[in-house]
Amino acid sequence: MKLKLDLIGNDLALSDAEVAENQNHHGAAGEALDSKRSIVREGWGAERAHRKGKLTAWERIEALSDPGSEVFPVGTLVNWAREFPGSKRQAPGAGVITAFCRVHDRHVMVIANDNTVASGAWWPGTPEKIQRGQEMALRLGIPVVYLVDCSGLFLPEQSKSFPGRRGAGHIFKKNSELSAAGVPQIAGVFGDCIAGGGYMPIISDRVFMTEAAYMVIAGAALIKGAKALQLTSLDIGGPEVHVHQSQCADVRVPDDTTAVALIREEVSKTCSSAVPFYRHGAKPEAPLRSSGEIESLLPKDHRHIYDMREVIARLVDGSLFHEMMPGQGREMITGIARVSGLWVGIIANDPMPHPHPDGRGMRPGGILYREGIAKIAAFSRACNADGIPIVWLQDIAGFDIGAEAEAQGLLGYGSSLIYTNSTNETPMFTVLIRKASGAGYYAMAGHPYEPVVQLSTTASRLSVMEGRTLAIAAYNTKLDENFEIASSDPDERASIAAGMAETEARIEADMDPVRAAAQMDTDEIVKLSEVRRWVELFAEASYQASGRRRIKNPRIWSMHDLAVLTSGTRAAEDRVPQAASLSENRAAPEDGATPVSAPMDGSVWFSPKPGAPAFVEDGAAVNAGDTVGLIEIMKTFSPIRITRGGTWLGAALEDGAAVEAGGVIGWLRPD
Amino acid sequence: MFRRILIANRGEVVSRVMRTAQRLGVEVVALTTDADKNLSFLEGADEVVNLGATRAYLDGPAIIAACRDARCTAVHPGWGFLSENPTFAAQCEAAGITFVGPSGATMRQMADKASAREVMAAMGVPTIPGSDGPLATASKAAEVAETIGYPVLLKAVSGGGGRGMRIVRQSGDIEAAFDAASAEAVGAFGDGRLYMEKLIENGRHIEFQVMGDARRAQVLGERECSIQRRHQKLLEETPSPGLSGESGAQARLDVSAIVVRACEAMGYRGAGTIEMLMDSEGNLYFMEMNTRLQVEHTITEEVTGEDLVQRQLEVAANHFLPDLNAPSGASIQCRINAEDTAAGFKPTPGELTRFELPKGEGIRVDTHLQVGDKISPHYDSMIAKVIATGRTRAEAIQAMKDALDGLVIEGVPTTAPLLRRLLDLPQFNDGATDTGLLERHLEELLA
Repeated sequence: MKLKLDLIGNDLALSDAEVAENQNHHGAAGEALDSKRSIVREGWGAERAHRKGKLTAWERIEALSDPGSEVFPVGTLVNWAREFPGSKRQAPGAGVITAFCRVHDRHVMVIANDNTVASGAWWPGTPEKIQRGQEMALRLGIPVVYLVDCSGLFLPEQSKSFPGRRGAGHIFKKNSELSAAGVPQIAGVFGDCIAGGGYMPIISDRVFMTEAAYMVIAGAALIKGAKALQLTSLDIGGPEVHVHQSQCADVRVPDDTTAVALIREEVSKTCSSAVPFYRHGAKPEAPLRSSGEIESLLPKDHRHIYDMREVIARLVDGSLFHEMMPGQGREMITGIARVSGLWVGIIANDPMPHPHPDGRGMRPGGILYREGIAKIAAFSRACNADGIPIVWLQDIAGFDIGAEAEAQGLLGYGSSLIYTNSTNETPMFTVLIRKASGAGYYAMAGHPYEPVVQLSTTASRLSVMEGRTLAIAAYNTKLDENFEIASSDPDERASIAAGMAETEARIEADMDPVRAAAQMDTDEIVKLSEVRRWVELFAEASYQASGRRRIKNPRIWSMHDLAVLTSGTRAAEDRVPQAASLSENRAAPEDGATPVSAPMDGSVWFSPKPGAPAFVEDGAAVNAGDTVGLIEIMKTFSPIRITRGGTWLGAALEDGAAVEAGGVIGWLRPD
Repeated sequence: MFRRILIANRGEVVSRVMRTAQRLGVEVVALTTDADKNLSFLEGADEVVNLGATRAYLDGPAIIAACRDARCTAVHPGWGFLSENPTFAAQCEAAGITFVGPSGATMRQMADKASAREVMAAMGVPTIPGSDGPLATASKAAEVAETIGYPVLLKAVSGGGGRGMRIVRQSGDIEAAFDAASAEAVGAFGDGRLYMEKLIENGRHIEFQVMGDARRAQVLGERECSIQRRHQKLLEETPSPGLSGESGAQARLDVSAIVVRACEAMGYRGAGTIEMLMDSEGNLYFMEMNTRLQVEHTITEEVTGEDLVQRQLEVAANHFLPDLNAPSGASIQCRINAEDTAAGFKPTPGELTRFELPKGEGIRVDTHLQVGDKISPHYDSMIAKVIATGRTRAEAIQAMKDALDGLVIEGVPTTAPLLRRLLDLPQFNDGATDTGLLERHLEELLA
């Protein structure tokens, strides 16, 4: 029993000018992101490290990773534009790199002190960033590699990184939790490793030290008499001491290059990736429609709508998707697809308007209404029950509001969803494609609900409410029923207008994803064209470790039960809308035309095989008993025969359409 | 690199290892015993630890304690003594001291000669026809001997240096030989198990030098050590005259490739030697692997320009080996022992009253002794190794003649005069060397 996947997505339904505008807009945002990335990557420059005969943190990461593999950094913009008293310079990336890397075909979380930034010192934000990387690895059960080169806390700002529940010491608790959970940890010490830094490698299962490395509770500078004895930190805590005497480390190596090579080798001894196993025989496949096109289809103006199914078509393998419960809550999209050959559940918001279930016309999309909330909660639970990782694609304006929403008890439905997401054990990943507003951001598994990773895109807008909404709320007493300024006094009107504009502008700035990234309210900002590769990473990292979490084989998914209970079997879903709409589209071509009906349920075909000429051409004469088509049921093909002679007027359905017994498949002018 | 190492050995080994270590800026702690404590070269060490008892060079726990006390982080075992003792290697590792050599497990595998044979055969290294593993009984030995054909060689599984070894030429002798060899092996090694090989008489002893960094292995050419007396090597040379010409070059290439594959499969770390025997038809058979540096590593160093001790220390500190130099030219080593060759090579301890060493291009002398030093009756009789190198074998032989002519040792008789005469032997000059050559010509060489 497997879910049938449908090809989704269409060619872009936009003018060339619109496409160009969208591309230019998102392209420019991508370039702005790239320039920030390269500033962070540059750090304070590689010169100092190279002069000491060392590699930079990024060079170590590149050497660690499989040749040609992509490195996925998280927290790149942490501390962006943040100033520190006591330092003339900023701390790009908080002086640490946390990244998903591929090592011997395993995804690992690499946590590397950026030795180009104040010799790898820990700044305010650094401990939290490190812990975030550790948390991701813990949740996924993927190995952690620490590349330690850390001169200790940046002391002028120690009060912001030392104490507190997420203070530096919490890193070692995370080390311990990782170890207790059986997650392999490997550390390489490349240089300074002072005080707290000294603990980070020790809990690791294997510790490599270069000849330039030392680990000390306190450096020689703090030891009485060290100067007279000419003792250096290397003397008191170098590999001589820790590899041989104290045995706090395992292996000494001459230099950075060797250390990295041996760490790679060590990773190769951990469990191999279960990804090929969990692909269940499938091969990874690119989306049929290029993920690069997402930048073309996402409108430049955030108030404009688009079809989220077109985005999904550009994210999933072969653009194949099985939409669950497509008939209900259509502004919420739930479904199953393969990414890198692995099953993932997708929960997305569709900004397109959809009909009100009570038949009261259309209503705006991208909003959580009762049916939609119930649908995504049920789907989220089913994914959890089946061990299918969930990717949340947010473009959500928030919950429905008003008397109807309250009367329906959306607070309750929303809380049920929140409960589900809070207790799910299956890995969840959240991508803020565009809007992430208000409680909708929470309901769609935003950061406070601890997805393994939350990504923003360059188009993300994360806020309690949009600036315009807040301005309306703030100036509520000055506005009329249509939220227009009520006063007729020109001065007062101008002052209200200016105030509202100022509020809007301030919120607009707050919604800049860079701000969220700088304060760790999102894990990473990515370009729209990069989302597919990240989703591949999410899928692979979720299925890498075997034996750690429930992963049901697709035959026994509870998803099937849900499908039957909500909208009947998949075949029935196909049958109703398609047969109905096609029959309508191709009504009797002339008066007196007699319908030819299907002898049984199935899919109808009008030629012996796809692409071959039709059994009977339109307008051709037919005799009783002639075959005009085939009906396919369960891979068995039966001929559809004409019972009386006449002229074949043509098919009423397209090849492959589903039809019920007795349904019209074509038209005949009888003799 | 280690800051301070201990050399768990004595004599010439210490001076050899110390030379490289100190050149690399590594401090050296040397061991001594009451019997050895007056050797003058020990002054060159950064620290000397006297273990007292004559046999203390074999006392692993005492040596490890010395390492700790002297703050050494690695121990170089040299050759002989504990250099092929897997237990000592394991004890070092447990104490956080790096043993400069392969892992204990690899050493254990190779130390048991029967298992070494099996492992090597499984990896495609040709082995001499013989018993699969140890022989349970004398009658089993007789059975195997019938299959492979006489003459056969019985060898102690844990043996070395010719002890626990018997040649059997006919079926009638096998039982007595088995019992005698087994009893000798129990006495010498505490292990009476024997295995059997077809005896290849007057073959060439050719050994391949390997260096591995636990991932990649490299062969640095071969050495021929056919000039032996009772399985004790007296003269070694590289390249082997047995591997001359096009077919020799091809054989060298083929065997090297197999050896590399086998050592890489073992994850071999450090220096090692694959000893092989070449029969009269030019077939090479695996005999054993020495998981350490050899006494005769010197000639490989001379033709490659590599310092093998340095490479050993590097791989022990987890360096990856670079591409090592390929050999070129020819080199010969003569072992100058304090032995009375006329009196059955009886070791002759005593004081060096004159000790003048040859100098010159292509001449190297490795020794730990100086005039006035006493050669102890408690240890081996090695005085010096004289190494001569040239572009060709003929050049190397000429250089060695000059070197031995310039060597003056008084106070003890040595092997030098015998070796000097050997250099004039036509068969030696023709490269017609085999393990019986010296003994066949012993009388004329002593005359």
